[in-house]
Amino acid sequence: MKAISKGVTVYDVYDRAKSGPKMEEKDWDFGVIPKTARALKKKYGIKMDKSVMIPEDEELIDKLFQAGIDMLEECGVYCIDTGRVIKYTRDEILNAIKNAPDHFQFGEGKEAHTVVPRSYDSPVYPIIQGGPTGSPCSEEMFLPIHQAYAEERIVDTIVDGVMQTVMGKDPVPGSPWEIMGVRSEALQVREAQCRAGRSGMGL
Amino acid sequence: MRPSDAHEVSQLNELKINVGALMVGAHYAEAGVQVMVEQMPIFGGYAGGLEETTIVDVATTINSFVMLQATWHLDGPVHVRWGITTAREALAVAGHAARAIDKHTHLMLGNQYYTLAGPCTLMCLLETAAQAITDTASGREILSGVAAGKGVVTDLFTAMEARFMGECAHAVAGMDLHEVNVLLDKLVAMYEKDYKTAPTGKRFQDCYDVKTLQPSEEYVQIYNDAIQVMTGLGLHYWDD
Repeated sequence: MKAISKGVTVYDVYDRAKSGPKMEEKDWDFGVIPKTARALKKKYGIKMDKSVMIPEDEELIDKLFQAGIDMLEECGVYCIDTGRVIKYTRDEILNAIKNAPDHFQFGEGKEAHTVVPRSYDSPVYPIIQGGPTGSPCSEEMFLPIHQAYAEERIVDTIVDGVMQTVMGKDPVPGSPWEIMGVRSEALQVREAQCRAGRSGMGL
Repeated sequence: MRPSDAHEVSQLNELKINVGALMVGAHYAEAGVQVMVEQMPIFGGYAGGLEETTIVDVATTINSFVMLQATWHLDGPVHVRWGITTAREALAVAGHAARAIDKHTHLMLGNQYYTLAGPCTLMCLLETAAQAITDTASGREILSGVAAGKGVVTDLFTAMEARFMGECAHAVAGMDLHEVNVLLDKLVAMYEKDYKTAPTGKRFQDCYDVKTLQPSEEYVQIYNDAIQVMTGLGLHYWDD
């Protein structure tokens, strides 16, 4: 028995991004990542068959999970701004998994969906999030396109597109027009949901 | 935005982050909102092949919950050559990663859709179906799409693809896994030979009435053709 470690916070992560081991980004991309992944594949004897999209072999499933945990523990995460590696202990990784949410609410009112874990063989339907998924969307067509998604009854929530202009201006990242663009997207998706009679729908 | 909306922040390829994302994460943590962390591992990229990319996908998914206290993770394994999530290899990475995490944790997972073909084409709908079936039968909670035509052309997407994504997911929920795999192998084989000649398809305004928001007769016919294909593969969701 031992004390459970405190959960990692985003503030801890930032501190580690400033104090972790130094490394060149190219050494991470072309060295650490492929070498560690390859070594773990060998360590666990993992072999996938691409004619089988979803594994039925329980041993393969277990090996992939353990290799993934090992990958995160052995490598950590590289911070491109500080050029340092953020490391976690295995306990911190396992505690984060244990303490992760086991449900949440998507949307409000009669359009609210309580999302809970579902297994691969569950008859429970997954949440259907309909929309352009970040694809470029013209300012003129933004509202009707998103209203069309909201009108599909099988669609539970909306994932919106990216407005290409706002008031005819390019919403360049880092400019004031970016703020206007993002705000316009959110307001127009809400309007689209309202027009479809689904004002509580999640976004 | 409401607290019950998905507040997005992204990791970088592979197992990388920037300080800006940590600032966004801090804001979400303080606001107490629903957090969706996104990342799309690249098959054939830094990690390498099928097994290596799947291992990285598992690690990346778990990192969302360690680093940014995600409510749920939005995946999207993408094929380096085609830039799509519906290629056989991308589906295998997604299906294996989800099943591995599904078996060992209660983490909630989504996947995003990037097809090669554009709207108003049979190929686009079959690609969508393959991923919806893979995601549903590997234990994912949220299906997010569809960015048709690789999600790079303005207005080249419609609600019909999302409808098909939803209907195919509903059609296979609870189905025997081996039957699903047999079906998927046949389904992917129907479109993967056509990558080099994939149809561009039509923009929303070219296959919908933009006032009534109804799809064109042409698209409805193509949709019905896609249903016929799926019925022929053994799904009976659309039977009267």
